[in-house]
Amino acid sequence: MKRVLPHPAREAKPPLWRSLDELASTPEFVDALEREFPQGAAEWHGGEISRRNFLQLMGGSMALAGIGLTGCRRPEAYLVPFTQGVEWTIPGKFLYYATSQPRRNGATPLIATTSDGRPTKLEGNPLHPISNGGTDTFAQASVLDLYDPNRSRTIKADGQKTDAAALAAKLDEIRAAAEAGGGEGLAFLVERVDSPTRDRLLAQLRQKYPNILWAEYEPLGASEHDAAVAASFGAGVEVTPDFSAADKVLAVDDDFLNVSFSGLDQVRGFSARRRISEPGQPMNRLYVAETRYTPTGGMADHRLRIKPSEAGPFLRALAQQIATLTGDGALASVVAAFPEGQLSADPQWIAECAKDLAASPGKSIVVVGKQQPAAVQALGFAINDALGAAGKTLRGARVQRPQSASIAELAAAMEAGRVKNLFILGGNPVYNAPADLRFGDLLAGVPVSVHLGIYEDETAAATKWHVPQAHYLESWSDARSSDGTICAVQPMILPLWGGVNELEILNRLAGNAEPIGPQLVRDTFSEVAGGGNLEAKWTEFLRQGFLTGTAWPEATPAFNAGGAAALATAYRPAPSNGIEVAFTPSSTIDDGRYANNGWLQETPDFATKVTWDNAALVSPATAKSLGLATGDMLEMSANGRKIEAAALIAPGHADDAVSIALGYGRVNISHVTDHVGFDAYPLRTTQCMAFATGTAVKRTGAKHKFAETQTHQSMEGRDLVREATMERYAKEPTFAQTMGMDGHIPPNISLFTHPKLDSPEQWGMTVDLSTCTGCNACVVACQAENNVPIVGKDQVSRGRNMAWIRMDRYFAGDENDPEMLPQSIMCQHCENAPCETVCPVNATVHSEDGLNLMAYNRCIGTRYCANNCPWKVRRFNFFDYNQRPLDKLYFGPLAKKGMAESVQMSKNPNVTVRMRGVMEKCTYCIQRIEEAKITHAVKAGPSDKSKVDFPNVKSACQQACPSESIVFGNINDPKSRVAQLKKEPRNYEMLKYLNVSPRTTYLARIKNPNMAMPGADKVGWANGHPHHGGHGEGSNGHEAHAADPHGAPAGHAKEAPAH
Amino acid sequence: MRSAEVAERFVNWMANFFPRWANWIPLKLLLIVTVLGAVVTGGIWYYFTPKYTNVGYMPDQPAPFSHAIHVEQLGMDCRYCHSYVEVAGHSNVPSTQTCMSCHSQIKAQSPKLAAVRASWETGTPVQWVRIHKAPDYVYFNHAVHVNRGISCYSCHGQINEMPVVYQAQPLSMAWCLECHREPEKFLRPPSEIYNLNWRPASAQEQLAMGTQFKKEWNVNPPVTCGGCHR
Repeated sequence: MKRVLPHPAREAKPPLWRSLDELASTPEFVDALEREFPQGAAEWHGGEISRRNFLQLMGGSMALAGIGLTGCRRPEAYLVPFTQGVEWTIPGKFLYYATSQPRRNGATPLIATTSDGRPTKLEGNPLHPISNGGTDTFAQASVLDLYDPNRSRTIKADGQKTDAAALAAKLDEIRAAAEAGGGEGLAFLVERVDSPTRDRLLAQLRQKYPNILWAEYEPLGASEHDAAVAASFGAGVEVTPDFSAADKVLAVDDDFLNVSFSGLDQVRGFSARRRISEPGQPMNRLYVAETRYTPTGGMADHRLRIKPSEAGPFLRALAQQIATLTGDGALASVVAAFPEGQLSADPQWIAECAKDLAASPGKSIVVVGKQQPAAVQALGFAINDALGAAGKTLRGARVQRPQSASIAELAAAMEAGRVKNLFILGGNPVYNAPADLRFGDLLAGVPVSVHLGIYEDETAAATKWHVPQAHYLESWSDARSSDGTICAVQPMILPLWGGVNELEILNRLAGNAEPIGPQLVRDTFSEVAGGGNLEAKWTEFLRQGFLTGTAWPEATPAFNAGGAAALATAYRPAPSNGIEVAFTPSSTIDDGRYANNGWLQETPDFATKVTWDNAALVSPATAKSLGLATGDMLEMSANGRKIEAAALIAPGHADDAVSIALGYGRVNISHVTDHVGFDAYPLRTTQCMAFATGTAVKRTGAKHKFAETQTHQSMEGRDLVREATMERYAKEPTFAQTMGMDGHIPPNISLFTHPKLDSPEQWGMTVDLSTCTGCNACVVACQAENNVPIVGKDQVSRGRNMAWIRMDRYFAGDENDPEMLPQSIMCQHCENAPCETVCPVNATVHSEDGLNLMAYNRCIGTRYCANNCPWKVRRFNFFDYNQRPLDKLYFGPLAKKGMAESVQMSKNPNVTVRMRGVMEKCTYCIQRIEEAKITHAVKAGPSDKSKVDFPNVKSACQQACPSESIVFGNINDPKSRVAQLKKEPRNYEMLKYLNVSPRTTYLARIKNPNMAMPGADKVGWANGHPHHGGHGEGSNGHEAHAADPHGAPAGHAKEAPAH
Repeated sequence: MRSAEVAERFVNWMANFFPRWANWIPLKLLLIVTVLGAVVTGGIWYYFTPKYTNVGYMPDQPAPFSHAIHVEQLGMDCRYCHSYVEVAGHSNVPSTQTCMSCHSQIKAQSPKLAAVRASWETGTPVQWVRIHKAPDYVYFNHAVHVNRGISCYSCHGQINEMPVVYQAQPLSMAWCLECHREPEKFLRPPSEIYNLNWRPASAQEQLAMGTQFKKEWNVNPPVTCGGCHR
């Protein structure tokens, strides 16, 4: 009797799918799947050089290399010690410093890992009150920006190189002019940062030169939010949702679970209420109304697709219901003042949602996207007030921020010729200012314009002066985190290319002496730190990275219905006709500032899985009505402005709307990242910063090719990702372990003898799908920690992307309104690893502590292991990605060899940089494991202390995860969190019937639907309702398995007669 | 003509030129080539190994530093200069400052120290030529070895008697594994780690002592790839 592995067949219409092609099972998709390397990765598509030419060239260069036998001589290497020892520095040991990344939504507190003076890795600072030690993709990748060889290096005046002395002379000249005219004609355009030192210098400037114009601009800023808060709660107040206190959450066009755009505390607060261990435990409920799929939408229990302009009418309808339910007069007055609008949403959805929110007064909250018009956000605050959120789920604080003008006011002054000297300190307004301001043209009319920037970008080309900006890891500063706590921004290294920071420029303009070291920050510090031992306080500030007790003072937000109603009365929504274009932040490169960051460019967008591109997202229904296919170039025009972008059909997108991410289509940075994606800024005006209505969309006839990572593999009808409702979990706790094939697994007999797993430490991991939002922080953290190379768009489209963590994204259900489920997949470290048995050279073997090891120096590149890997997590170095320029990979030895020196500095010295022809994959951060074991042993010394307790290790992905979904540790230690999680009933192994015993297991996702909502019966059933007819079993559903979780009788196995 | 006839005529024609013993030439040649090939292959296999190519590597250094004088004659401890060996993976080479802390007073004008003085004056580091080098994919950690009973001597040899440092051991993987598989043959009393002249009384005594240390200290050197290759 030959046992046939009971692989389920691929269903014609799978319940879970990763691409529309898969859902439709197109012939191209099936063909691509059935090839050995589905993506044709193993084939030669040289283009410039044929295989024959290549072999000739190789032969020639080998012969040349042989002459002189240069390979036989041992190359001389040098040991280069310091001349003078550096304090704290121990060669070969990491040093950690607390610092923070200044961001528009508050500083991200960080711990920088430095190796011999080079920062190589950033982690969250777990000491900080808002941080749990998590980070996001931008913070993780910002270390690569520091070493970017394309950074600007020279001060330029009128396009000519000049030096610091000339700049200083110019600054002094401007200062002298300002002193004479009280600052008339002097203007600044800065980015939004809450920096106490910058505020202090600004106050000095304003005192000396009362007439300066100080403007702040963030293309993805929160000016509408600020206006709404000021009207609703008065000036000097900031409100933040506290999701840890919320049972019911409604997010309207607000991607608050995307940690890059909200904050660590928000994601942490939400996931703390989302994580349930025991069946029957309570959890929060999330309603989302949004346009395109965001991580927040993916987590939603109920999701409604609305056009961006419908947020107002939607909230109005909701507010009406809530006003009736709660009898709140203030809310009713705001609703009455709010203009009516078109809404196509299901009224029952709104009614039931309102009922549910109103049923939990003080424990529910409505959050509205900060890009939405102020009146819409104020309506949201009115609803919150009616729900009793103030002081409970909506926390208020008194904030102090200096007054600043908007970019429109600055542009008006420039147009009127009132700006003589303009400083653009950071930012790239020529590229990203609202198109109707014509900022680039206005700049030409400013006699002296100085641009301080990391790159010689679009703005640098339009200004008279360009000054290289110091990266935040190169200069002293300070910044407040979102809660107001003052964080230190400490330099880790001297400016690589002589950059200066904005504080130094402001300081010189204020006429102060040149600062020495941290003097500017220290001066501010002594003002805010209060009395006492200042030196000790300063040391503590630098050591822990922030000053305790400097958070904004809490103040219960007092809702002012009159202010909100006034906003609502004045609000004139744009008529919603034609197609709406929503301008969204890019999940990968923000507003364009990270456009030259290869790690981020190559990180697939969480929903579309597109790399090195943005796209005009349209819903399947709209695509059908417009006759569009993915890749069709579109021309979108509104108010006489137009942009072009390629369409991508996005399941779950609102109909009659297009979403396009900002930040792409940059020029002037580097030949690899120029002209990547499509620039959407030209369509964006001061009137429509969030979305443009009444847009005409037409096909141009041209085609564009996307490099997506989603279509590379298929789930083949297996239940890799699992979810259930809370109710089902309570009734049937072991559902995750008996789902699909797992209820039918016969006892397995292994044919192989396996290495003994006898080490006291046995490493394992769990990923909690209930809290994983798919934010990609782990993906980039892994890339930074493990020296994972980037490969470029062309290689990604051939399926050769190297990221060790693949953030899978599944859709379930109807293509127009599916459910979205993210799942991070990395090497599962199978105890019975299929890759190990096929390696002809023992390059991949098992260790006694349960790691599936990869010895690069043994690997000969047969790729058998990748073929035999059930998870498809092995990555092969088809080229010398670390050594050759990405656009000349196919030139072989003809291309320039070697990595830019600055990029070499960014590498983690504890991880081998892999070469062409070797396989690699997730190692469970073995360098950290070994380091921890060694530290443990060194501490024990010649004693028996190494026997007691276990070394403590965090993997890079675990450390970065803002929602604490990834837990890594020693599964032998019953006290460890991972061991406890593995005991939870929702813990399951993927492809259990293969008996590979993966060490990485998943905790099934639990959903909390409101059964009164329309479509609630589908929520939480992404795997489809159990149907056992197909498995040759009785119709008794899942209850039978609940009673009998593991003991699947042998008769359940499919047996085929021997051939 | 039939082909057999042609062949016969050809053989007869050839016989006029070559004597009978010539028939063995191809076979003998083949034998010689095989033997030669085997010898060359075997030779390369055996001799082109770190044991022969690396042991004894003794490059010229910018300053002729003598461990024999500093350690053997003056009695300095290894850790005076290699100060971080107990805490870090790398055993640091001393900074110029360390050299100058003595040599600003002692032999301050010696021509042999020209490179060190130049470094001190200009601030450019001395470029010592590296002798002991593991490949980039090998992560060796000094701290864990010296803290757990392995002496400098085990890898660096009688370095305290070397006027000029050379590589004493092959540092090949097989050589590493000799100890990782049987650490009891090399473990020392903690007091003798930096005493490079210490020897066990006998092999049996070493084995008895090493076995005891291995058990007491819970010494389990890794023998899987991941222990050194990351």
